[in-house]
Amino acid sequence: MSTVIMRTTTRVVVPFIVMVSISLFVQGHNLPGGGFIGGVLTTVGFVLIYITFGLDDLERVLLGEVATTGGNPFEDRIVDAYRRLFVFGLALAVTSGLAAIALGYPFLTQDYVILHDVPIYHELEFASALAFDLGIYCVVVGGLLTVLSVVGSE
Amino acid sequence: MTGAPDLPVVLLAVLLPFAATLFVPLCYRALGERTGYVGAAVALACFGLLATQHGTSGTVGVPWVPQLDAAFRFHVDAWGLLFALLASGIGVLVFVYSAGYMHGESSLPRYYAALLAFMGSILGIALAGDLVVLFLFWELTSVCSFVLIGHHDADPESKYAARMAMFVTVGGGLFLLLGVLAMRYASATALGTATFDLVAMLENPEAMQTALRETGLFVPVLLFVAVGAGAKSAQVPLHFWLPNAMAAPTPVSAFLHSATMVKVGVYLVGRFRPILASPEWLVLFASVGILTMTVTAVLAVAATDVKELLAYSTASHLGLMVAGFGFTSYYGAGAGVFHLLNHATFKAALFLVAGIVAHQAGTRRIADLGGLRGDLPITALVTAVAALGMAGVPPFNGFYSKEMLFEAAYEAGHELGGLGWLFPAAATLASVFTFLYSIRFLSMFFGEKPAALGEVDRPPLTLLAPPAVLAVVAGAVGVAPSLAEEVIVGSAVTATGGNPENVHFGLPTHVSPALGMTAVALGGGALLYPFYDRLHDGIRSGLARAPAVRANWWYDLSLDGLDRASVALVPRVQNGLLRTYVAWLVGTAAALALGGYLAAGVDVPPVDLLGTSGVILLVLLVGVVAAGFMTTDPSQVLGVLLLSVVGFMIAIVYILASAPDLALTQLVVETLTLVIFLLVIEELPAFYGEIEGWTAARDAILSLAVGAAVFVTVLVTSNGPESELARFFTENAVEEGGGTNVVNVILTDFRGFDTLGESVVIVIAAVAVLTVVLMRTRGESP
Repeated sequence: MSTVIMRTTTRVVVPFIVMVSISLFVQGHNLPGGGFIGGVLTTVGFVLIYITFGLDDLERVLLGEVATTGGNPFEDRIVDAYRRLFVFGLALAVTSGLAAIALGYPFLTQDYVILHDVPIYHELEFASALAFDLGIYCVVVGGLLTVLSVVGSE
Repeated sequence: MTGAPDLPVVLLAVLLPFAATLFVPLCYRALGERTGYVGAAVALACFGLLATQHGTSGTVGVPWVPQLDAAFRFHVDAWGLLFALLASGIGVLVFVYSAGYMHGESSLPRYYAALLAFMGSILGIALAGDLVVLFLFWELTSVCSFVLIGHHDADPESKYAARMAMFVTVGGGLFLLLGVLAMRYASATALGTATFDLVAMLENPEAMQTALRETGLFVPVLLFVAVGAGAKSAQVPLHFWLPNAMAAPTPVSAFLHSATMVKVGVYLVGRFRPILASPEWLVLFASVGILTMTVTAVLAVAATDVKELLAYSTASHLGLMVAGFGFTSYYGAGAGVFHLLNHATFKAALFLVAGIVAHQAGTRRIADLGGLRGDLPITALVTAVAALGMAGVPPFNGFYSKEMLFEAAYEAGHELGGLGWLFPAAATLASVFTFLYSIRFLSMFFGEKPAALGEVDRPPLTLLAPPAVLAVVAGAVGVAPSLAEEVIVGSAVTATGGNPENVHFGLPTHVSPALGMTAVALGGGALLYPFYDRLHDGIRSGLARAPAVRANWWYDLSLDGLDRASVALVPRVQNGLLRTYVAWLVGTAAALALGGYLAAGVDVPPVDLLGTSGVILLVLLVGVVAAGFMTTDPSQVLGVLLLSVVGFMIAIVYILASAPDLALTQLVVETLTLVIFLLVIEELPAFYGEIEGWTAARDAILSLAVGAAVFVTVLVTSNGPESELARFFTENAVEEGGGTNVVNVILTDFRGFDTLGESVVIVIAAVAVLTVVLMRTRGESP
C-alpha cells in the first residue's frame, strides 16, 4: 500500500486529522464531539501512518530509536507505550471520580467554572468533566491502537 | 431465662475462628504440626465465651443492609446455644485429635484453616437471628466441607466425594434460599414490614403461618425447607453423599459428618418448627425422617467398612431427629433436641475410635477386625459406652431420646390411625437394625482376634483423650439424664416449640407403649444377631442385583448424562469458528427479545412510511441496494466495501435526523472498521466458497430473525411521548453540567459511571487481544 501518492497524502492529511480530533475532543462539552469520538479519530490518523509507513516508522517518529524485537508484540516498545496510555487513561478517569469523593461529593460528580477576562476567548468555560473525558480519550486511543498493532503485526 | 446476651461476646465467638483462619499459615511456620493445639485453643475460647452466655436469651446485632432489613443479628437462646456449644466443644476435641492423627500429612495449613472457618460457620448458623446471615453461613459450611472432604486432592475418589457433597448440599442450600425469600414475602403481611428478621418471625409464629397460608406459599416453603435441610442432613433420597464423604480424614468425619454440619439441617428444622408446625409438617417431616431412619439403618448393616457403617448410622440417627421434630407433640421436640446432644457425643466418639482402630491396626474392614480388647482396653471401654448408647440400651444416653421418639411416634399413630401406625412400626424396625450394627461395631473388640492383625500398639494420648472425654459426657448423661435437662435441654425443647409438659427424663417407672417398643427392638436385635452375616450378605446381593434402588446410581447416571450432553453440545456451539459463535449469540439474543415481546404482549406501533421524509427513504434505499449486492457478489473486498456503504448511509440518516454526535461517531467508526477489514482481508481467500443450500437457508432465517428483533425493538422503544428522562436531561444539561451538548453532558456527567464502565470494557478487550496473541506466540492454544 506504500505508494508515493499514499505517502504524500498521508503526510498532508494526518496533521489535519489529529488537529480535528483534538478540537472535537475539546469542544465536546458544547458541540458535537467528545472523548470517545476524538479518540477514535486520532486512532484513524495513526492507522493511516501505520498502513502507509509501517509500525517501525511510527515507532521511530514517536519514540526515537527502533529496537528489533523479533515480532513479539509484548516486547514492542510502541505497544508498551499504548498499553501505558490506556492504563493511564483509566487511572485518570477513576481519579477524576475519586477527586469528587475527596471533596465530599458522590463518586464522579462533575462541576464547571466559567473563567472571565481570558485573553482572546473573553470567557472560557472549564468543566471538570474534561479530565474524565481525557481519561476516556486516552483509553480509546491506547486500547484501539493496541488491538490494531497487535493484530496487524500478526 | 434472665438477662440479655452481650453483643461483643457473641460477635467475638463467631468471628474468632475466621480471624484465626488468617493466622494459620503463620502458626504453621512457627509451630509445624502443633498448629492443631492452636486450633483447639481457639475452639476452647469460643466455647468459654459462649458458656458465659448460658441462661441469657435475646437478640443482638449490628445493621448490615437496612434497606432490606437484613442485619448481622445473632439470636441467643437455649436451642442455638446448645448447638453452638456442641460444635465448639467437639471442635476442641477434634483439633487435639487432629494434631495426633494428621501426623505427617501434607497441606496441613489448608486443613486447619478450613476446619477453623468451618467451625465459625457452624457457630454462625447456630446463633443466626437473620435469614440472610443464616443462609450465608449455611453455604459457607458447604464450601468448607468441600475443601475438607477433598483434602487428599490427589485421590480421585476423594475428589468425587467432595464434588458430590458440594453438589447436593449447595443445591439444597439454593432451595433454602427460595424458602427464605418466600418467608420474607410473607413477613410483609404478618409483621407489617418485609424483613429477614428471623427473631421477629419466631415471636409471631401464628401470624407468620397464617400469612404463608394466605399467600399460598405455605406448602412451597415447607418443601423448600425440607429439601434444604434434607440435603444437608442426608435424608432419603439425598443421603448418598454422606457415606461417600468418608473419603475425608477421620477427624473431619467425626466433626462434620456426625456432630456438626449434618446436624445443621436438623437444627434448621427445629428452628423453623414453631412457625411451620402443622398437620402437613407432621406428615412430611415425620415420613421423611422415619423413612431415612429405616432405610439407612438397613444399609448400615450392609456396610463392610467401619466408617461406612458409621456414616449410614449417622444418616439413620439424623432421620430419627428429623422425625422427632416432625411429630408436633412435645415428646417429638424432646426427642429431636435430646438426641441431637446424645448423638453428637456418642457418634463423634465412635468416629474417633474408628480413626484409632484404622490408625493402629491399619485396616478399616469390619470383617478383618476382632478381639482388640486386649490391645486397646481404654478404647474398648469408650466404644462400649458409645455403642450401647447408639443401640439405645438402657441406661445409656441414646435410650432416653429414643424412648421419647417412640412415645411421639406412638402418639402420632394413635391420633392418625390407619397408616399412621406405620410410624411406630417403622421406628421399631429401624431400631432393630440399629441394635444390630451397634453390636457389630462393638464386636470388633471382642471375640477371636484374627491372626492377620498381629500386634496392635496403644494409641498416643492425643488420640485417646478426645473420645474418652466424649464417652464420659455420654455416660454422665446416661446416668443422670435429668441433669442434662436442667442445664440446657429443657429450655432448648421449649425454644423449638414444645409446650412444657411433665416430661420424664429418666428411666421408665411404669409400663408404656414406648417401653414395649424398646423391648421389641432390643429383643428382636438380640435374636437376629447370630444371623448378622447372612443379613449383611443378603442386603448386599439385593443391592447389587437392583442398582436402580440406590440413590448413588441415579446421581452417577444424571451426572454422566450431563457430561455426555455437554460433550455433545460444546462442539456445536463453540467450534472455534467465529461465525458459529456469532450465530448462536445473535440468534439467542433475537429469540429472547422476540419471545419477550410475545410473552409480554407488546403492541407494535404502525410504521408511518408516508410520513417519513423522501430524502431519508432515498438514502435508506441506497443502503438496501448495497446490502442486496453484497450478498450476491462473490468477491470479499467488494463485499466489505458494500457493507461500508450501508454504514455510511446510516450515518447520513443520523445527520438527517439531526443527531450530529451519532453521525460523527458512525462515520469515524465506519472508516476505522473498513480499514481493519481491509487489513484482515489480505489473509482471507479472495472469493467465497460455494455455499450449500441448507446453510444459506439457515443463515437467511437467522438474519431475518435478528433484523426483525432489532426492528421491533426500535419501534417499541422509540415510540411514545417524549420521556420524562429526556426532558430532565435537556433542562438540566446547561445548568448542572455547564454544557450545551446534551449527549456529552449525559456521557460525562449524568451517567459518568456508565462511561467509565465502557472504557473498562475497551481496556479489557485490548488486554484480551494482547493475551491471546502472546499465547499464540508462545505456542499455547488460547
